[in-house]
Amino acid sequence: MSKNLKKDATTFPIPTTTWRIVRGNPAIWAIFGLVIIFSSIVPEKFLSTSNLVAILKNFAVTSMLAVGPTFVILLGSIDVSYMGIWMFGGALVWLLYPYLGLASILIYPVFGLLIGLFNGIVHVKAKIPSFILTLAMTAVLAFLTTYVRNISGVLTLTVPAYNFLRESPIPYLPAPFLLALPTIILAVFLMFFTKLGTYLCAIGSNEEGAKLAGINVEKYKILAFMFSGFLVGLGSIAIFVHLGNQTRVDFDPSELVRGLAAIVLGGTPLAGGMGGPHRTLLGALVYVLIFNGLFLLPGVDPNHLKLYIGALLMGAVIIASKALKGALIT
Amino acid sequence: MDMQNQLLIAKNISKTFDNVVRALDGVTIDVRRNEVLSVVGENGAGKSTLMKILVGVYQPDSGELYYEGEKIPFPKNPMEALERGISIVYQERGVIPHLKVYQFLFLGLEGKFTRLGRLQLEKIIGIAKSVFDELGVKCDLGSYMYELPLSTQKMVEIARAILSIRLAVGDSEASKITPIIILDEPTAPLSIEERDEFFQYILNLKKNNSFIFVSHIIPEVMKFSDRIYVLRDGKLVAYHDLSTEKVTEDQLFREIVGRVSYYELYSVHEYGKAEAENRPIILSVQNLTKKGYYSNITFGVREGECVGLFGPAGCGKSEIAKTLYGEISADSGKIIVDGKEVKIKSEPHVRLRVGIGYFSGETGKELFLYWPIRKNISIVNFEKIVRKPFKIASVISFKAEKELADRMIKKLRIRAPSVETECYSLSGGNKQKVSVGKWLEKSPKILILEDPTIGIDVGAREDIYEVLLEMKKKGVAMILVSDDPKEYAILCDKIILLREGTIQKVYDNGEFRRVMEL
Repeated sequence: MSKNLKKDATTFPIPTTTWRIVRGNPAIWAIFGLVIIFSSIVPEKFLSTSNLVAILKNFAVTSMLAVGPTFVILLGSIDVSYMGIWMFGGALVWLLYPYLGLASILIYPVFGLLIGLFNGIVHVKAKIPSFILTLAMTAVLAFLTTYVRNISGVLTLTVPAYNFLRESPIPYLPAPFLLALPTIILAVFLMFFTKLGTYLCAIGSNEEGAKLAGINVEKYKILAFMFSGFLVGLGSIAIFVHLGNQTRVDFDPSELVRGLAAIVLGGTPLAGGMGGPHRTLLGALVYVLIFNGLFLLPGVDPNHLKLYIGALLMGAVIIASKALKGALIT
Repeated sequence: MDMQNQLLIAKNISKTFDNVVRALDGVTIDVRRNEVLSVVGENGAGKSTLMKILVGVYQPDSGELYYEGEKIPFPKNPMEALERGISIVYQERGVIPHLKVYQFLFLGLEGKFTRLGRLQLEKIIGIAKSVFDELGVKCDLGSYMYELPLSTQKMVEIARAILSIRLAVGDSEASKITPIIILDEPTAPLSIEERDEFFQYILNLKKNNSFIFVSHIIPEVMKFSDRIYVLRDGKLVAYHDLSTEKVTEDQLFREIVGRVSYYELYSVHEYGKAEAENRPIILSVQNLTKKGYYSNITFGVREGECVGLFGPAGCGKSEIAKTLYGEISADSGKIIVDGKEVKIKSEPHVRLRVGIGYFSGETGKELFLYWPIRKNISIVNFEKIVRKPFKIASVISFKAEKELADRMIKKLRIRAPSVETECYSLSGGNKQKVSVGKWLEKSPKILILEDPTIGIDVGAREDIYEVLLEMKKKGVAMILVSDDPKEYAILCDKIILLREGTIQKVYDNGEFRRVMEL
């Protein structure tokens, strides 16, 4: 009879849709809190048009790194190859521009998809832990990017021909943000309107149950890595444009942290099973608001920001692993 | 009543959970010196609740406790129960396999044998030796628990229970009291031979101890008890003193299950026999063999027919079921679904595509507990809730998903406020209804049932049977693997008796009931 100890569902009040959304996305509270704090301490700096535009740009960059890998984290695996895709994808665009012309930018998503396919197959078939695998992938691709720069004897891998992309047709909405929109829409669509999102959550929360429900677990794991790579590739176009039509040529671990921080702050636990790209978008906004706000505060040394961000990620992981346990669901 | 022999009386015990579920309703039992007292009943009859009250895990809502004629308060925790000389050996999870015997024996009791933080090993081993000699347990103290046969493991657990009582009451008192050892379905994991050995041991120990034997295996209860209490739905429904009266197994069985109408439940849903014969064979298994598990299994299942695979644990029934839905693969043989042969090596998702589904009573295998009901139902029914506005992409319609779940909640009378309710907050029976509901909606050609009603109470069970029988009527073929003979009697048209991996005999429903005396 001990099973009857559990509270019967009929005793709970029916939650409204709005309340469910707020309860399911704790990052919303954080966003409200941060906006209120910063706009009351440094209102004229924080609420200036140029700052709000900067926030949008940074939001685009951060979310483009994080939205794709969220699909893999839903599985309970991890994909940190986004740094490599972003860096070397840009190098490929630079290398192929003389041959393909403007179309060479499309190399980005194709390259991302291929890397994702490779990661997925090796992870699933050879049973290599995803963190080691994708970290090694990033190391290899980052090295190749630096190598391309070194042998070609230029300082940056810039393709000035894409300058027209930097002009936004809509005032106040920066070009990188507009370029990020397709990726955002695609990710949210995949999560909510196709069975992919549901299946990935199912595998992440109860792999045996997912198998018994007739889900082809291996196939969907590989698909998760493919979409992760594809979305990172597609999103990297926005970053490419944001950085002045060039890619990054030096590996910086704090950029790696940025993606993971957005995912974890948004409320997708690294153990998988719940959350999704919608939460990662909120998490990216939290991250950008903290970064931006701290930068504006008097007495905060901008050189120390990366330190704070690293500490922030650690804190977020600890809090998320405690608070998210079962209490909050998509 | 013989006052001299009276040890413990629990009077008018009632216990309600959450102000709704009456687990125990005015139950009175007495325990005498040096006897084996059986408390029998179905799952959910209240046996475990009663035992947990006696050992201080639960507090009763009302009732009184007398020890040797003297009123005492109910134990507030297991330690207090030990001080009264009451200890329990749980059904499972008792043994820690990777500890040595003496380590396990003294687990949690080390505090009394530690000097300056150092464990006094010689003393522990010395005590262990003398206890084992006294109780007649034969085993090497230095071996690991997992190396011992299961029956010996149980005996070590009992020795541990007795030892804990002695240490709790102190040396001087220990010789005066009669320990009461509660055995919660102790024979469940044991084989037939091990059971005999185990009971011989218990009978020896009866000289100095009293046992409360919690079980639902009737022949054992009849053979080894001195007295029997029967619980049903939280009430005491019968009492037998086997020294003064004779009880038949039949009678006891009827008392345990109460309103036994299983035959009726089956026959109500049974369609005409002739019709059944005419239906096409949907699944045919030919010479299926997996070394070490089963060999040469051949049978066929018609549309709307339920075939039970029946036999003791280890007879290969669950392995055959697992092979059919693709979790393990057979070495040789054929599986033919609807006239088409399927590969004997394949995965569950391939099997589901050809029409073999799998329903288990273990909610952990079926449900995503932190998901809302609607998603748990739609997980196997995506084709019913997607729209195809573009040729390539299937887009989920939330409206269709919600309607589907709403319909299921109404149809199966799932007690939940909305389709958004997360499954972990549902009661056991309602969880089961959600998982059976998704398969009802799916209605695959063939459904494999493995322990479909494990761990839920009687009322909820009948609801599940009703759903399964409805699917059967719709033409879903089923294969049942279970531990409960009654379940076979309710659901199956044909029962295949397995032993050591081979088919011994095939019964029809009527024959099966006669053989099992149901």
